[in-house]
Amino acid sequence: MQRSTFLWQVAFGIGLLGAWYACGLVFGVAWISSPVLVARKLAAWLMTGSIYLHVMTTLTEMVVGLIIGVVLGVLCGLLLGMSRLVATVLRPIIFAIYSVPLISLAPLLIMIFGIDMLPKIVLVATVVFFLVLFNTMKGVEMVDPDMVDVLKLMGARWHESFWKVLLPGCMVWILSGVKVALPYALVAATVGEMMAARRGLGMLLSDSGQKFDVTAIYALLLILTVLGLLVAETGTWVEGSLLRWRRKHA
Amino acid sequence: MISLSDAGKQFSARGKTLRALEPLTLDVAGQEFIALVGPSGCGKSTILNLIAGLLRPSEGTVKYDGVVVTRPNVRVGYITQKDTLLPWRNVQDNVGLALELKIRRTSRAAAAARVAAMIDLVGLKGFERHYPSELSGGMRKRAALARTLIYEPETLLMDEPFGALDAQLRLLMMDELQRLTQARRITVVFVTHDLGEAIALADRVVIMSARPGRIRRIREISIPRPRDIFKLRFTAEFAQLYEELWNELKDEVVKGTDV
Repeated sequence: MQRSTFLWQVAFGIGLLGAWYACGLVFGVAWISSPVLVARKLAAWLMTGSIYLHVMTTLTEMVVGLIIGVVLGVLCGLLLGMSRLVATVLRPIIFAIYSVPLISLAPLLIMIFGIDMLPKIVLVATVVFFLVLFNTMKGVEMVDPDMVDVLKLMGARWHESFWKVLLPGCMVWILSGVKVALPYALVAATVGEMMAARRGLGMLLSDSGQKFDVTAIYALLLILTVLGLLVAETGTWVEGSLLRWRRKHA
Repeated sequence: MISLSDAGKQFSARGKTLRALEPLTLDVAGQEFIALVGPSGCGKSTILNLIAGLLRPSEGTVKYDGVVVTRPNVRVGYITQKDTLLPWRNVQDNVGLALELKIRRTSRAAAAARVAAMIDLVGLKGFERHYPSELSGGMRKRAALARTLIYEPETLLMDEPFGALDAQLRLLMMDELQRLTQARRITVVFVTHDLGEAIALADRVVIMSARPGRIRRIREISIPRPRDIFKLRFTAEFAQLYEELWNELKDEVVKGTDV
């Protein structure tokens, strides 16, 4: 990045904060809060450590849900991608479930699994599952059949072709599915917490809303933004290191 | 060694049947280099797929070493026009692929030694850790050749392997192919649309007719080996063969390009 571009970005950021501060002065901090108040709030949370529990709760829901969703999504995607029969039988059901806005499952999941982490984990896993499922199926479809034939002629058993060609061949698609799923996982965890929870950033968010604590809401949004960016960056990094052979494309 | 007797193939797609190959009879002797020449769509690739056992004939039989081919034939190596190197493996891992399989299980040290020797043989030394996307077209062809030769198949099926290469590189690769297949006494079934390539390499050239494919002419090429691939084109013998076979081929090329 050019130095002058960077300076412009910093200037713009400062300008934005200044405008926010000015709006607070003009219209009153009760609705708009101010960068100073938000910074103070964040500092207080970090000092007392009270925020960590909530951050960890949201992150745990997200990560556990992601792992479950990715594993199940990849497994089912491979199965559906490889077996035309299974795919034909299950396709209508899968599309029916997927056409429901998945977030709207949250009240049902809370009724079934209570108000702790479990329903949020299930919600995250469900959202992630479908995104990874569709991508994995596409990946299986895109594997070059000639590569599979070459392995057959070498005398590869079925499982050898699977590990050496099919799975690495769909990896590009699986990883791009996971990457797309990452922000949705954060959304699902937060929304689930907003509906009913004892801990988590989403719970704090709806709680602060009910108390008209605008400063806390802004502070929480800031934390969620940082988490979202971190998660997306991690995804890009993981993808980049697993697909090193691809980055070198001319 | 390889014998097709009245082997034909038709495909059906959306209720229509498309004939890829008219029933055809052809025998290939062990260690023979046979080249199939014909316009595109004449079923040359279908013949290779039948020998490889990737396709079953709709009628007639295909025998390999006296046995009817009913499953993927693991005694052949197949090199297609599009190289099928695995893009996520570097050159040495691609070349060593066959040695990782249970059927050809080799100890790690022995495999590494064979991979190194094979890479050296095809002139890719120094590129062991390069990925296919970092190689030129000719290097990828060499890598694909090395990956196939390493498991020492008795028969090499080649489907326009040098089609995508430029003229100079093609001559180099032809020379290399002649050297490798002569030294290892491999049977080769070589499909091409380039008559010159076929004459330069083969013991017998088979001229195929336009779709649906039939054998129009089989010609022995008795130019002694080893042949000088680079100078061969300027000899009277070559010119005469070329003219003779081109007269057979040109009608078919005209027919085959109606599109």
